[in-house]
Amino acid sequence: MSTAPGAIAPDWLVRSEVGLCPCGCVGRRRKGSFVEKTLTGAADVMHQAMFGDEIAAGPGLLQRLDARVKVLTLLGLLVVAALAHTTAVLLGLYAVTFLMAWSSGLRLSFFVKRVWLFIPVFTGLVVLPATLNIITPGQIVVPLGNWWFGHTIGLTSQGLQSAALIVTRVAVSISIVVLLTLTTPWPRLMGALRALRIPRLFIQVISMAYRYILHLLGSVEEMYVARRSRTVNPSTDLKAGRAFVSATAGALFGKAHHLSEEVHQAMVSRGYSGDARAIDSFRLGALEIAWTAACVVTACAVLGVDRVIR
Amino acid sequence: MHIPDGYLSPETCAVGAAVMVPSWSAAGRRVRKTVKSRYVPLLAIGAAYAFLVMMLNVPIPDGTTAHAVGAVLIAVILGPWAAVIGVSTALAIQALFFGDGGVLAYGVNCFNMALVMPMAGYFLVYRPLTRHVSLTAPRRAFAAALGGYIGICTAALCCGIELGLQPTLFHNASGQPLYAPYHLAQAVPAMLLAHLTLAGGVEFALTLGVVSYLQRANLPMLRINHAAVPETDAEVIRPPRRVRWWWALLPIAVMGLATPLGLLYNSGAYGEDNPKADTAKFLHKNHLTAIPAGLNHYANFWHHALFNGYDFSHDKHPALGYVVSAFFGAVAISVALLTMFWVVQLVRRWRGSHDEDVSDLQAVGT
Repeated sequence: MSTAPGAIAPDWLVRSEVGLCPCGCVGRRRKGSFVEKTLTGAADVMHQAMFGDEIAAGPGLLQRLDARVKVLTLLGLLVVAALAHTTAVLLGLYAVTFLMAWSSGLRLSFFVKRVWLFIPVFTGLVVLPATLNIITPGQIVVPLGNWWFGHTIGLTSQGLQSAALIVTRVAVSISIVVLLTLTTPWPRLMGALRALRIPRLFIQVISMAYRYILHLLGSVEEMYVARRSRTVNPSTDLKAGRAFVSATAGALFGKAHHLSEEVHQAMVSRGYSGDARAIDSFRLGALEIAWTAACVVTACAVLGVDRVIR
Repeated sequence: MHIPDGYLSPETCAVGAAVMVPSWSAAGRRVRKTVKSRYVPLLAIGAAYAFLVMMLNVPIPDGTTAHAVGAVLIAVILGPWAAVIGVSTALAIQALFFGDGGVLAYGVNCFNMALVMPMAGYFLVYRPLTRHVSLTAPRRAFAAALGGYIGICTAALCCGIELGLQPTLFHNASGQPLYAPYHLAQAVPAMLLAHLTLAGGVEFALTLGVVSYLQRANLPMLRINHAAVPETDAEVIRPPRRVRWWWALLPIAVMGLATPLGLLYNSGAYGEDNPKADTAKFLHKNHLTAIPAGLNHYANFWHHALFNGYDFSHDKHPALGYVVSAFFGAVAISVALLTMFWVVQLVRRWRGSHDEDVSDLQAVGT
């Protein structure tokens, strides 16, 4: 992984635990403390944010599109995915997102991994019980025994169908959002939202919050390293860990507030009077018109076919 | 509690957004008024903080981790309206960058975690419990923690209802659900169970820990939203506690609401049996051969009661009759009491003005 210029995460932070192979085959496996795991998660956040910027700067179809047009059309496709009632049509729409990813120069394996990372956790586990006849009554296609108070338990065709519908819909929705955020640099996305009449207050807050998250994560990391460097006992103490988490969270607020005062003074000294201006350079060319037309055709096709085969 | 896209119908999402737009604008106005031009960095900090709090995973005994939302914590430190904007912003960043919570479902997620949670925790729990409590009192930290617990559970209840309504409202011709598959009876208990125990506990512990840490180590942070609250218990000026008369209505209201319990009990009170209603039973119960002459003569002396035997229309609708007669009884007694009250006041006022006349005369006399 290369570090983007100006990024604040040092390499040692983004690297995984020392002496532990990620697959667990080298060295003694050690269950890290939860504080450590949280910080690893935080490092992932930074990694994603920085890596995302690299993709957004690359050449590709979606990267070249006007951000406003991109936000509106992809939001439209999101609504279309929510309105579609059949799994087959949603699978077709999923194929379309692959096409978009491919034309934007995204590695398909990365794209799929990025999307399906969230799905097993949120959707798979939640939807699985609904395939049983206890939740969704219907015709049992895969019997699983008679252990439920003497009743037959099994997967019903109705349950499986609705589970497939939900999983594909979630996959399509996440793919569309991932496409939008991976191919749009953060400032451009904010500019597009501003052009779409989202109040300035929110845009300013979101952009500054995004910047602060990375900064505050650095503070958390420093606090954790400071503590670890003073800790002798290697075993994890849950109680002390919890006390550390709440004290860190409290101290973090103090630091954050101090930072906000400094930032405010810096803003005022540069002429800030409660409203911000930004350079919004948008263009509407042939590419945007062709793209919008393609999206409208896709949406009509999806909804039309869905209505016919429903 | 972050609902991804695909679980909610577009209609539900539209309702969520329609509720949130005026809430955001109200929150924006309120915050702008209270913190002036400093609001942008302060809110951004609140948002970044909310995001990080949601990333702080705390281990729970079964080997998994749970995270807090921190909405009530931010409401306590920065004020409830700042919490609305802060948590909404954190949710926007999560939805856009980490796929945690959907983009279409953004309005609904904001409704649960950025509106219901801080408002319920702050206005229903924290504020009532911290009236006349100093800034450093342990009770304040506890009230904030309880607010966090109630807040996250209320948000979970809303989330369960939203998910549970989907299969009822949106299904295809064969009854197959189009969005979230669980009914209300499954979604609400599942959401509540997880949040009443695990996530609620984490929220409670984190809020308690952070507020008591700030009380110990960084009091100015708590001053942001509590400008006029005295620092120690000794400085708290408690107004004399007065018991208002309307508190007396509380037990009456409780008894009124408990009226239907009387339906569970079938037989009458001891010694109040009507000898003529079931003569044989009355005689057998009291070891008598005949109803005593006096009792026989005066029983049912008055039988023109409006609700004879707490009933009307000859026991056709016993439950309805019981409740209606209870209601009429309560109203009649209230009217009688209020009339007495009014008469007493009238008399007192009349006597008061009479006394004044006398004292006026005396003053003139001297």
